[in-house]
Amino acid sequence: MRIVMKFGGTSLGDGEKIKNAAKIIRDHLEKNEVIVVCSAMAGITDKLFSLVEKGVRGRVKDVETTLNEISDTHLKALDAALSNENLKKEVKQLLEDLFNELRRAVMSVLYLREVTPRSRDYIVSFGERLSTRIMWGALTELGVNCKYLDGGDAGIVTDSNFGEASPLMEITRLEVRRRLGSLLDRGITPIVTGYIAVNEEGVTTTLGRGGSDYTATILGYCLDVDEVWLWSDVDGLMTADPKIVKNAKVIPTVSFSEAIEMALFGAKNLHPRALEPALQAGIKVRIKNTFNPSAPGTLITTTSEKSGSVVKAVLLVKDVAMLTIRGASMVGRPGTVAKILETLARENINIMMISQSVSESSVSIVIKKQFLAKALSKLETALLGSKLVEDIEAEEDVCVVAVVGEGMRGTPGVASRVFGAVAKKGINIRMIAQGSSELNISFVVKDEDGPEAVRAIHEEYNL
Amino acid sequence: MRVLLAGFGVVGRSLAEIVIEHGDYLRKLNGLNIRFTAIVDSGGSVVDERGLNLNEVLNVKKNSGSVSFHPQFGRKNASVLELLDELEVDILIDATPTNLVDGEPSYTYIKKALTLGVNVVTVNKGPLAYALPALKELASYKGVLLRFSGTVGGGMPVIDFAKQCAKGDRVVKIEGVLNGTSNYIISRMEDGLEFEDSLREAQEKGYAERDPSLDIKGYDTAAKLVILANEVLGMAVTIKDVSIKGIENLTLKDVQEVLKQRKTYRLIGKVDGGLKVEPTLVDLADPLAVRYAMNAVSFTTSLSGRHTISGKGAGGRETAIAIIRDLIEIKKKLGEA
Repeated sequence: MRIVMKFGGTSLGDGEKIKNAAKIIRDHLEKNEVIVVCSAMAGITDKLFSLVEKGVRGRVKDVETTLNEISDTHLKALDAALSNENLKKEVKQLLEDLFNELRRAVMSVLYLREVTPRSRDYIVSFGERLSTRIMWGALTELGVNCKYLDGGDAGIVTDSNFGEASPLMEITRLEVRRRLGSLLDRGITPIVTGYIAVNEEGVTTTLGRGGSDYTATILGYCLDVDEVWLWSDVDGLMTADPKIVKNAKVIPTVSFSEAIEMALFGAKNLHPRALEPALQAGIKVRIKNTFNPSAPGTLITTTSEKSGSVVKAVLLVKDVAMLTIRGASMVGRPGTVAKILETLARENINIMMISQSVSESSVSIVIKKQFLAKALSKLETALLGSKLVEDIEAEEDVCVVAVVGEGMRGTPGVASRVFGAVAKKGINIRMIAQGSSELNISFVVKDEDGPEAVRAIHEEYNL
Repeated sequence: MRVLLAGFGVVGRSLAEIVIEHGDYLRKLNGLNIRFTAIVDSGGSVVDERGLNLNEVLNVKKNSGSVSFHPQFGRKNASVLELLDELEVDILIDATPTNLVDGEPSYTYIKKALTLGVNVVTVNKGPLAYALPALKELASYKGVLLRFSGTVGGGMPVIDFAKQCAKGDRVVKIEGVLNGTSNYIISRMEDGLEFEDSLREAQEKGYAERDPSLDIKGYDTAAKLVILANEVLGMAVTIKDVSIKGIENLTLKDVQEVLKQRKTYRLIGKVDGGLKVEPTLVDLADPLAVRYAMNAVSFTTSLSGRHTISGKGAGGRETAIAIIRDLIEIKKKLGEA
């Protein structure tokens, strides 16, 4: 098989873990061709972002401290990951060169007190560049013939939307095939930086949301691989958060639509965007755990296998808020909802759920809690006093329960079972939404009722 | 419009001649004023930002083999890439020799031009067979035009014809005799000549390349088929997606045998789901059974049936006219913007 293996930041959290990941790669190379994608070591990307902020504010000392922390972390990791002294020296030189390059870039931000999206992308790209060098050392020490490449050198070309660039897929496909294809033909294992790429002029860009997972599926799409494996520190997608439901289990197989639905509701760090290329090319994606590599993990696939249960997972989304807009005069007046949506869109606030009663006398929406104050104030400004709207009410102590499963489509009675189970616990449901795709039912309950509601449904469907 | 012409072989020189002869006419009728800022050949380049005197350049080329010997404006070592950076041209005309292995160096030239926001006209099949979907993506992302009507059918406007066929309808199948050399060879075998003799004759008449294997083994047909599949059917395919079989194993006996049933072989490139090039048996009366160096392409649409266009496939002058057609198209589009 030809497999893309992406290793998340926690799987590369220190030298021992990098060594462990390298061993996993080597073991799979016996029977497979592997393309390796590395995230930055855990916490490093956040530090790089903070470097930029500190630079803009001119905080010289903080910048120095953070730069030193970053180099310490990597040098320590290198020391633990490799034992061959010569090789260690070679990788150390590579790292030192990158530290210097990073320092120069951060210093220019510091002097100018100014950062552009373009220079920010350049600075935050160092995390992946550093981690791939250490991985290269670790794999080389294990006798693997390999080569490290930055995303752009691997052939990933994007538009110039810095911070959230999108690949130019056809050029990328051509370039990746030409560059990585020839390495693979010669039996060389490519180690590619996740998250980072270049625009058509060769300037560094980052892929933003979906990050390194996205890199992995893009490469998978380009190289006609059999599977993409996303290694992290979880065993796979779970039927529920194990902190809430003690007997939550790993789901062996989900469809792409289910996975996207679960990702939208915050399962793991999976981003729907990252699944797109795999879905398009029909490539299976596996979620696996580097700390429990023999576990089968979760397989995301296009062939939807009807499992025994119509419901696959019950998720709890916290840190949300509900806004209810009321007014008797809203009845029969078109445009109120449009005004609400427009007001929030202008502020870049995403609406997670929306529902309106047939009587039209009230509209409820759910948004992330962090946007509540802003949303409330903007909506009040836009709507109150217009005679249409009498009152806007905000509730912070709520959460969303989402029930996901492709089997619900066309299966009658799902809603009654779900809500029946919740009702039996004496929990009041505040708001309900179901898309016509019937992939999920979500509803709002009080914060303190959330875990109980999740347990009730989990039990009802015997997950 | 300021133009950089890469490649000064038969096609490039024909283009210069046409512009000398018909320049006034093109300006009056189409508003097209072509100014050659630079011409590059294998020996170097000649550059004049005010516009080259084409008669002079043609003379230099004829007498000394390379435009770089131009006494005033000749340069010994200036590559297309450097000139694209240095000069501010509107259009790159790529008339460099075809390389069907990786499309280089033409692929790099075109990519560079598009990246810089320069429109491109190419008659080189290589980069297109290898990377048409990628180059089209880049052109549309940068908001510039990429034109290549001279790559298929020479002076015969195949792509425009196909687009007309597809208006309000849908092309479902493409079949075509797209390579003049191999068609000439089969036609002469129908006349009773052996394969090798037919090939030699085609070479003497100047139809075949010095290395005719691209023609005979079907690669030239495959490259043109890829261009049609991308442009007419909207597929995203490259030459690697084509299953290719040439005419090299066709014998005089094979050809003569099927003639008795009023049938013959043609090297046909076909898109019907997959992409395929192979010697195919057709009726002598079929519109694709064109003879000698002719080309023919049939487009089958879902509503109006099969339409065939045939004509002279290649030749320097014919291809140069296709370039002019593309330039007029670009001028029109730029004028609208």
